[in-house]
Amino acid sequence: MKKLVLSSAVVAVLGVSSAMAHFQMVYTPNTALEKGQTIEMKHVFTHPFANEHTMDMAGVEEFYSITEKNGKVDLKDTLKSITWKGKHNSGKAYESKYKARNMGDHVLVMVPTPYYEKNEDIYIQQITKTVINVAGTPNGWDAELGLKAEIVPLTKPYSIWEGGSFTGIVKSNGKPVPFAEIEVEYINNTPDMKNNAMGPNKYEAPQDSFVTMGIKANKDGEFTFALPKAGFWGFCALGVGSDKEYKGKELSQDAVIWVEAKEMK
Amino acid sequence: MFKKVLFSVLVVSSSLFAHSAIMSCFDNGDGSVTCEGGFSDGSSASGVNFYVEQGGKKVISGKMSEDSEFTFKKPSGEYSAVFDAGEGHQVYVKGSDITE
Repeated sequence: MKKLVLSSAVVAVLGVSSAMAHFQMVYTPNTALEKGQTIEMKHVFTHPFANEHTMDMAGVEEFYSITEKNGKVDLKDTLKSITWKGKHNSGKAYESKYKARNMGDHVLVMVPTPYYEKNEDIYIQQITKTVINVAGTPNGWDAELGLKAEIVPLTKPYSIWEGGSFTGIVKSNGKPVPFAEIEVEYINNTPDMKNNAMGPNKYEAPQDSFVTMGIKANKDGEFTFALPKAGFWGFCALGVGSDKEYKGKELSQDAVIWVEAKEMK
Repeated sequence: MFKKVLFSVLVVSSSLFAHSAIMSCFDNGDGSVTCEGGFSDGSSASGVNFYVEQGGKKVISGKMSEDSEFTFKKPSGEYSAVFDAGEGHQVYVKGSDITE
């Protein structure tokens, strides 16, 4: 009996941590730009649906853009420290400005310094991809970058109607990860770019499994998910990266991609 | 022989038709403007006609470069940059909408 109680307590704890997944955001309010312009980005480590706890980012190892014309361009120097305000607390985050001038796709990749998650006694590193497009011509959104942990899109991440779907392949060093575990979360508010804060929550989850939705890739590492509402949807393939340890502790090296659905109006 | 030629012409024109022409221009900040042309399927605009129109007249004309670009000296006054990929595939961008 005692054992049973203990195990349900463990389940309860696990339940809480899985109900609110960590998500590294590389956020800009519009990923489908009409013309070339300088855009603002916010780099925040949070739980985007519930918005109950904002983590202190431990730093950034890499941040760069990839375009057809200029190849890989280091953007690490463009990052500035900010404090991001969530519903219950504030956390260390970054902001940056990016000159998205050339027509076509701009793939932005950020590799944060692993974050120590005390509750689980592990490090988490979410290699994050956000794709923006200028003027509508495609040239590189589907590039496979051979990252340690990566979601390669099969749908343009910036060109999906509300109610449409997103398909991607989970990969590690260019190889598909069969049956990868993927968490899905919606940015359940409109982030306030001026005041570095999350806005009020828009929707309520009927139950915890809707806060962070858990799905799995198929045998080829592919998954499809329908996006019921306009806005930003994050996909995070858990622990698929090839690095498994950091500072003597377990490392969950995850792959994150952000996808934006647009309202039909 | 004739059939073959006809077929390839049809394929080319139908592929052009299925995709829309797209152009984006920016002011280089040094008195020049660069326009980039392309198509919605990602195909190159290299060699496609481009001109600058002022008061209904073509004041500059040429073709998109290997990189699907055309750079020109910014005219004074109102003008439009035109990406001319054939009938029904012309894209006009007003000079006043071209920023740095």
